[in-house]
Parts: sequence; C-alpha cells; structure tokens
Amino acid sequence: MRTEREPAGEPVPGEGPGLEELLSQVALGHEQAFNRVYDLLAGPVFGLARRVVRDRAQAEEVAQEVLVEVWRTASRYDRTRGSALSWVMTMAHRRSVDRVRSAQASTAREERVSRMSGEVPYDEVSETVTTRLEGERVRRCLGGLTDLQRQAVTLAYYGGYSYPEVAGLLKVPLGTVKTRMRDGLVRLRDCMGVER
Amino acid sequence: MNEDLHTLSGAYALHALPEQDVLLFEEHMARCEACAVEVRGLSETAARLAMAAAEQPPAALRARVMARITEVRQEPPLLDRRAGDRAPGASRAEGSRAGDSRVEGSHAGDSRAEGDREGRTPGEVVPLRSRSPWRRRAAIGLVAAVSAAAVSLGAVAVDAVRERDRLQQAVTVIAAADARTVKYPVSSGGTCIMVMSPSQGRMVVTARGLPPLPDSRVYEVWLMSADGARPAGLLERAEDGVTTPLLTSPRSDDLRLGLTVEPAGGSDQPTTTPIMVADLPAA
Repeated sequence: MRTEREPAGEPVPGEGPGLEELLSQVALGHEQAFNRVYDLLAGPVFGLARRVVRDRAQAEEVAQEVLVEVWRTASRYDRTRGSALSWVMTMAHRRSVDRVRSAQASTAREERVSRMSGEVPYDEVSETVTTRLEGERVRRCLGGLTDLQRQAVTLAYYGGYSYPEVAGLLKVPLGTVKTRMRDGLVRLRDCMGVER
Repeated sequence: MNEDLHTLSGAYALHALPEQDVLLFEEHMARCEACAVEVRGLSETAARLAMAAAEQPPAALRARVMARITEVRQEPPLLDRRAGDRAPGASRAEGSRAGDSRVEGSHAGDSRAEGDREGRTPGEVVPLRSRSPWRRRAAIGLVAAVSAAAVSLGAVAVDAVRERDRLQQAVTVIAAADARTVKYPVSSGGTCIMVMSPSQGRMVVTARGLPPLPDSRVYEVWLMSADGARPAGLLERAEDGVTTPLLTSPRSDDLRLGLTVEPAGGSDQPTTTPIMVADLPAA
C-alpha cells in the first residue's frame, strides 16, 4: 500500500520500451537509456543481492558491480538467448553467490548455516514482497510447490546455498534435492507462464 | 548418466552447483539442445524470483553507478563469422581478445532476416517532395551497402572496430522484424534511404549517389522536432558513392529527418537550406 512512486521495484517485462531495446541503446553508449535501465533494474538487483549476501554494504557493492557490468557488456547481450531481465538477474545472482561462497571459510558462514536450519526464507519473501503484481504471483506460485520443492528452490536462490548445502540443511539425500530443485522450478515456470 | 546430469538443470539455473559440476553440466548442455532450452526457461523463472525480492536501493547508489560508468569502457559486440570474413582487418584490429575469437550465435539470424525482407512491403510513407513514390525494396540494397562498407573498412585499423560495431548495430536495425524502409530523393542529386525499427528504437540512414563535396564540406543529418533541429550525425562517403550507414535514435517527438551541407566537422544547427526533408516513418 505504498503510494509513492517506486520505479525500481516494477520492471514489467514486455511493457513500455523494453529492457531489450534499452540495452541496445546502452550498447551504443547512451547514458540516458542506461538511466532508465537503472530505474528498472536497480531494485531487483539490489534486493536480490541483499537477500543473498545479507550485509547491506556488501549488497550495495554487488549491486554497483552488476549495474556497471550491464553498462560495460550491454553489447554482449543476445536476445535470442533469453530475456534481458534474465540476463541481468543471472549476473546479479551469480555475483551474489560468488560473494557469499568466497566468504565460505569464515565462521560467519557456519553460523549463518546453523541459524538458517529449519527456518525457510520463504516467509521473509512473503514479508518483503509487497502488493506488486509480480511479487504476488511469485508468492502464489511458490505456495503451489510442495514444502520440499519450495525449500530447495528458495534456499538455493535466496539463500545462495549450493545443492549439497541445501541437502545438509534439509537433511535429505543429494539426489532428492537435485530433483526437487528441478521439478520445483519447472512447476514455478508453468505457474508463472514463463515463455520457454 | 545423461539422465542423471539432466536433472542438474534446476540446480544449474539456481547457481547451486559446485564448480566441478558446473563444468560437467555445461559440457553436457553443449550437446543436449533440450537441456539448453530447459535451462533457459528455468533461468527466466529464477529471474522472476529476483523481481519478487526487489528492494529500493539507497539513493547514493545511482550516483555512484552513474559516475562509475563514465570511467568504464564498453565492450564491443561479439562478431559472428560472416562479419569477420567481410572485414578481416577489423577483427584483427581487436588483437587477441579472447571474446572475439569465440563465435557466438548473436547474429546468426542475419541471413535469414535478409531473406525475410524480400517478402515484406516497404514503408508506405509518402515522400514530401518525391515525384515518383518509392515502391521498391530498398532494404536489400541497403544490406548490400552495409556489406560494401564493411569490405571497404579493411585497412583503417584505428576506426575499424568502432565502425564494425556500428555496422553490426545497423544490420540489427535493418534485419528487425518491424523494420520499415523509406527512400527520398535528395535535391542536389542522389537518394537518401532510411530504415526505421520501432522495436529497436533506432534508425539507419544512408544515401547513394550524393555528389562529392570538397574537403571543407560534409553532409549532415538532422532530427527535427517541433522544438527545432538537432544533429544526428554526418554521412560519410564510402565506396561507390554509397555512404556509411549512420545509426540514430529518433525521439518520439521527432517529426522529420533533414539533410544539409555543412562546414567540415559538422554544425550544431543547420547553416544551409536542407537538400532533403523527410517525414519520419510513424513508430
């Protein structure tokens, strides 16, 4: 029920001058186009980094790296290989995951793992997800998964855990986790009507 | 074995695979089209999960990012093999960039798109001053002009890379499914050709048969809105009287495209009477 404009939260794929078009302009060095790309993507990129790395300052660093990377490599985006959103979010997620995994040796990581046991980030997702349409849909679709599917997917994606770690957290065999990640995502995909 | 690898697609899309499994899976994916397609769909799905986590970043982040990009050089696009063949000098100019030697499928659709254009009707915009409306398919000729310009690149190593990138962008516009072509006569002689793609938000401008100018003069292109004209770039002559394609992004309030002769280097505002004024194809 926010009333202020919050452009950062609402990139709707397929509406307005799409990200794809904006990126092709960014590739030509248009800073104005990049400004709009920032409007569309800074929210999801920062939010995702926050969720995965937790630490606010580090999440800002990750978000900055990713957004500058979008500027730098916009010409490498190839729309035949997927949406621009997916291209950027893949980058953002990978960077975030790299950040937490490189800190893996630290005890903070261990503590984090034990703290997370039994607790599923799904609830946090429901909290932060506002009334945005996309968020609503994601939440509804997550709700349609089995517990194990949902935990496997959200621990990996929002928690940044590898599948062996997820198996450890959930105390289920590796093979089961792999399968749940896949069929969970497949079910999400079908629920969200993602184009294949 | 394959069945087992295949089930890793979900974990792969979630970046939940340990390093060694990533390599294994990518190797597998290179040989398994179905896996690659599945991964693409699952990655799109994961991206939606990111949207749900969106959070307002601190305002200072924008300032930092915008400041940073002014210091970061942008990567040139990856070339496909055909483009490389056409402009060997251009690809060599990049030296040993690892990224460029790898052939990506980014423009694999070009040849198909050229074929598609043959069945498409040209832009129906009526030229302001034309005596006989343009009814031929200019795009094919333009693609040829682009290739001719690419061939002519050859030796000029310094500009070749930038030039090549621009050509590739131009080809993307020309090959876009919604590309529309309009041709206008130029009053001093020759023809100006415009290809507009609303989906790309860009336009390619080129000309042929323009009379040669002395070194002190250039052809300059203008985008004109109700507020006046702004420079869109210079038309530079390439081989055979065809100019190098100029890439420009009209704004929604731009109504016309103009061409004038200006002092070398171009002007900020037109200083001579336009030798062509064309209505922009409606977006």
